[in-house]
Amino acid sequence: MKTLSQLTDFYYKNLFPTLEALELQRKNLRYRVILVGLFFTLVCVVLVSLLPLETMNIELFSVIIFAYFAIGTLLYKFLTQEYTDEFKTKVLKPLIHAIDEKLIYTTELHVSQRIFERSELFTSRVDKISGNDHVMGLIDGTKIEFSDIHAQQRHKNSKGKESWSTIFRGLFIVADFNKNFIGRTVVLPESAQNIFGDLIGNWLQSKNFLREELVKLDDSAFEKEFVVYATDQIEARYILSHSLMQRLLTFKKKANHPLYISFIGGSIHMAIDYGKDLFEPSIFHSLLKYKIAMEYVSTLHLALGIVEELKLNQKIWSKR
Amino acid sequence: MPISLIVLVIVTLILVLMYNSLVSKKNQVENIFASVDTTLKKRYDLIPNLVASVSKYMEHEKSLLEEVTKLRADANKPNISDAQKIQLDAKVSSALGSIMIAVENYPDLKANENVMHLQHSLTEIEEQISAARRAYNQAVTDYNNAIEMIPTNFMASAMNYTRKEVFVIVESERKNVNVKELFN
Repeated sequence: MKTLSQLTDFYYKNLFPTLEALELQRKNLRYRVILVGLFFTLVCVVLVSLLPLETMNIELFSVIIFAYFAIGTLLYKFLTQEYTDEFKTKVLKPLIHAIDEKLIYTTELHVSQRIFERSELFTSRVDKISGNDHVMGLIDGTKIEFSDIHAQQRHKNSKGKESWSTIFRGLFIVADFNKNFIGRTVVLPESAQNIFGDLIGNWLQSKNFLREELVKLDDSAFEKEFVVYATDQIEARYILSHSLMQRLLTFKKKANHPLYISFIGGSIHMAIDYGKDLFEPSIFHSLLKYKIAMEYVSTLHLALGIVEELKLNQKIWSKR
Repeated sequence: MPISLIVLVIVTLILVLMYNSLVSKKNQVENIFASVDTTLKKRYDLIPNLVASVSKYMEHEKSLLEEVTKLRADANKPNISDAQKIQLDAKVSSALGSIMIAVENYPDLKANENVMHLQHSLTEIEEQISAARRAYNQAVTDYNNAIEMIPTNFMASAMNYTRKEVFVIVESERKNVNVKELFN
């Protein structure tokens, strides 16, 4: 696989003409979006000022604010749709194919809800799942797929009012694991031990009824970052060898966001909680800027790099 | 009266909880040791085959092969204690390691399909054994902690629980194993 610097080179060299054209488009579009935004805001203000003052109350006001933002977002999406599409087909797609030509990239698809639920990373009931930018294929003979995922749960309060909460939003990666196993092992970000200290934190974790048995591992750096639950104490350690724990720690540092990992059904599932939709261009930032460019390039490299990083291509002999 | 009754109930409850947690820790150690034992057996089962395959070639390492065979016979004796099994495991690991290094000196042997197969099986079993050892060590550490820490230590001494031994994890195992070399 190409290194990060090779990919960055590709981005700035091979894609440069495209980026320049897109940059021009972006500047025009930004101008238009700001104009439309101002006009829209003005219309809203005029409409609100026409309302009789006595009808105004908190509830109505919040409805108006909500409508303003909702319509505003839709307008923004509508105006930038073409630019987003061009970015995805002319920049993102070639970038993915620069890593491996056989990878399949689909803008509209996402990792299926079945796989998301199978991963057991999040115990909340999933009521709505959306996502985009789905990439699938083989890296070094190892099956891998990933996409943006936004999983939500519906709540109803006593008045029957509906609201939604986010379970997970970020990058979701699934790949074949290089060892055979039958149980389920889940690795979650550490929180209890950091808040309550080792003794009480450990005790609280062992009393987590939503999860399987707590697995205490013999790598203190890993234990500080993660908490592990599994159906089988030995199998969990068979999967989480000393070397894999080290590699996961390195990966965690690179990802720099909360990381959830599980080993179920012969696959490794990883969810990186970015809290936002990735691979979307913003019309307020130039694609030529290094920081913006690196966001796309390094995220792609991180996701597809797990095969090499975690040595998933070095299959244990009986799994070949 | 009711207050003393409440105190009595609470004290009994604490004692029962302590007792149960000690018993469950001891059982956890025993359970995991049973799995360790199974994986160790898998490795012992490979030894006769390995010895038969390599003995024709390895004239100079006869003593090493004899030692491994003897260790296997010892391990298969009935009524050996867990501590003895742990000691035997360490010896077998090092002896098998030496054999594997010696194999490198015999090109014919290295190319032999049967030996290659055995080598791969052995590597896989070693990984399983390593995982089982680590699980066992954690269970024993939990158990040892419980029988030495206040307040469960009083209960433990009353129950006649004593410290258990852990497996010594070989330093080479702790290092990042070069998986490529192992699996190819």
